[in-house]
Amino acid sequence: MPRLSVITRAGEEHSFEANGHGTLMEAIRDNGFDELLAICGGCCSCATCHVHVDPAFVAKLPARSDDEVTLLEGLDHFKENSRLSCQIRIADALDGLKVRIAPEQ
Amino acid sequence: MNLEERDYFTDRVVLKDPYDYFAELYAKDPVYQPKLRDVMFVTGFEEANEVLRNTEDFSSVIAVTGAAVPLPFKPVGDDISAQLEQHRHEVSGSDILVTYDGQRHTATRSLMTSLFVPSRLKANQAYMEELADKTVREVVARGKCELIQDVAVPYVTLVIADLLGVPADDRESFKEVIAAGPPAGNIDAEERPHSNSILEHLARYFVGYVQDRRANPRADVLTLLATSTFPDGTTPDLQTIVGVAVFLFAAGQDTSAKLLGNCLRFMTEDKDLQQQLRQDRSQIPNFIEEALRLQGSTKVTFRVARKKTRVGGRDISAGQRLVIALSAANRDPRRWEEPTEFKLGRKKIQEHLAFGRGAHTCIGAPLARAEIRVLLDQLLKQTSDISLSVEKHGPPGNRRLDYEASFIIRGLENLYLELKPSTGTAS
Repeated sequence: MPRLSVITRAGEEHSFEANGHGTLMEAIRDNGFDELLAICGGCCSCATCHVHVDPAFVAKLPARSDDEVTLLEGLDHFKENSRLSCQIRIADALDGLKVRIAPEQ
Repeated sequence: MNLEERDYFTDRVVLKDPYDYFAELYAKDPVYQPKLRDVMFVTGFEEANEVLRNTEDFSSVIAVTGAAVPLPFKPVGDDISAQLEQHRHEVSGSDILVTYDGQRHTATRSLMTSLFVPSRLKANQAYMEELADKTVREVVARGKCELIQDVAVPYVTLVIADLLGVPADDRESFKEVIAAGPPAGNIDAEERPHSNSILEHLARYFVGYVQDRRANPRADVLTLLATSTFPDGTTPDLQTIVGVAVFLFAAGQDTSAKLLGNCLRFMTEDKDLQQQLRQDRSQIPNFIEEALRLQGSTKVTFRVARKKTRVGGRDISAGQRLVIALSAANRDPRRWEEPTEFKLGRKKIQEHLAFGRGAHTCIGAPLARAEIRVLLDQLLKQTSDISLSVEKHGPPGNRRLDYEASFIIRGLENLYLELKPSTGTAS
């Protein structure tokens, strides 16, 4: 069970244990962070589950798909460490991962 | 007669205008139980979001039969999770993905989450455009059509068939079976068990397709599905894949076809809007979102409280069945300014709940948006005017329209249109 930290738009940091299945988006959503909209429900389509990943962790995540890159590049707050959280699967290797929910589009 | 005294699940007045009914409940309380039924109606935007995002306290097991049918057991205590799992198989429709909960749902849904990504839809767009162009050309040449059966149903069936990779020879037989099926949430069949016969018919074909794709992979969605694995790396059994494939094929067709009807209704009743869209077709996606907000094709979805909990500050007991009125949340005056007005370009319009929210958000939404945009684009491009048939539907202000007899689906049974060709079109 990896322990994750999420920083809200207001700058508050919360950490919690993610259960071992599903995606980072689902873990954030199911732990009550309502500001992560994830409007499309996690099918790499709406880009409303955008997070900025702690730079120390970027290289540990699986690479972005072309679809994810296309969607991210269309966002105002796109940065090098941007990810769509629905595209990251929860795994033990993510223990300690810290992400910030990106500002609203 | 107060609308509240009517029964949401069977009343024809409510069927014709569910929005007035929901507005009356909302005025009493956004979380409200009308006298007639032991069912809680959630009509507020925040409250609906709250329930849809809370999979810990609410189960989707009744999502197919709806809150119209009692639970197959008597809930005892403040946490009925164990009872619910024990009786899950007795709930009609509990073999369909929309009723799954928890890890089983997450794992099964994960098999489909990469199927409608932008690149996949883009690859399919040429087919959609060609099909839409041809379909629209035919009805414009005739000068009239019945939109639902002549255009919408065959179009959406062929689009999903092509996307999945269903052989052309089998498509005709599917069209007939699907057209003959009763709607989801039929108001006249409330007490009858849910019929799965269409899905069973389709499954017989899909078993063959999936086996074939596992043996001979191709570049289609069925191959992606047939060779997909669960998040833990295990391979789903044939039955699971077939269930998901059939669900994908069948689930979105009626709702997409009906959404097209609802879109055309808005467009034909407001000719200024129609002309505005014709002059600037890049506004079509905005138009679709506002149509989804005001008349999305799914009126409601259902949940049952697994535990004693609260929604919008109101107590909910374990075992309480809830109607989540998506279409009412989309007109909540606390969330939407002038909620009953059709306005292009509302801020944050994409936050409407027409496709749901949370774990069970409609997975076919990107496809529905794409296929409808492409068809509307052709309809506007190839015409100079689209009008409702006065002969069939009566004059403006006094229309006769038949809605599908469903407590889930919001859609017209038929929509007779008259089409004038655009002056710049060769046909």
